Amino acid sequence: MTTSIHPELDLTVSRIIEAPRSAVWNAWTDPASFEQWWVPAPEACRVQDMDLRPGGSFRTEISQDGVGFGPHITGCFLAVDELERIVFTDALVVGWRPAEASFVTAVITMKDHPDGTEYTATALHRDIADRDQHEQLGFHDGWGTVTRQLAELVESRA
Amino acid sequence: MAQYPALLDGVFQALADPTRRSVLGRLGAGPASIGELAAPFDMALPSFMKHIRYLETTGWIRTRKTGRVRTCTLERTSFDVIETWLSEQRSVWEGRTDRLERFVTTTQKEPPE
Repeated sequence: MTTSIHPELDLTVSRIIEAPRSAVWNAWTDPASFEQWWVPAPEACRVQDMDLRPGGSFRTEISQDGVGFGPHITGCFLAVDELERIVFTDALVVGWRPAEASFVTAVITMKDHPDGTEYTATALHRDIADRDQHEQLGFHDGWGTVTRQLAELVESRA
Repeated sequence: MAQYPALLDGVFQALADPTRRSVLGRLGAGPASIGELAAPFDMALPSFMKHIRYLETTGWIRTRKTGRVRTCTLERTSFDVIETWLSEQRSVWEGRTDRLERFVTTTQKEPPE
């Protein structure tokens, strides 16, 4: 399945990593390795669940100081293709149950590259302004437009 | 991850109400007292003050009391919150990818203890 990108809501980060695909895959899918790089020091990450199959629970915790941990990601995997692709979201939790709050679907892909692995992370974000609020305000096209229209709304009175 | 959506929800919730939008529109023309802002509305002052406090806590306006008059000023931060949110998400993912790259390439050279 292809991913449709909305430039004003989504982002893609791509990098050539000089290591074989299996090494990148392992760094992602081994919880002890994942904890080493997912959050920037001095924050610390703890993997609670990493059940790598569609509908499998993905839960991580974060700590500002390495002592007290609080929830970070609570979601589930949507697709797990060995050595190729990991898709997760926080719109659903374990067993595809709808989540209370949703924020992101992330698509991680790994491809062979002459210098190692082409790693791409795409984050698809929910349009956080509710649709009816959009309609009330006449906003249609995402954040850029929202921001412009807000600025115009207020500045037109200046 | 959770804090930005919460912040944004507040920012947009503040805009969902016609009274609050109208107040923001008026403040676009410059600072105004509570009395001036409340005048066009057929609303008890305590109810109007709830809207003012909502706009203040969601970062849309600042209020300052001088003597007996409270003056409201438009705060630009809410625009900035929306605009900077996506670029902050980008830097989160770039940081993650940098650290993954570093982790993978260093553990390649020196096997973990």
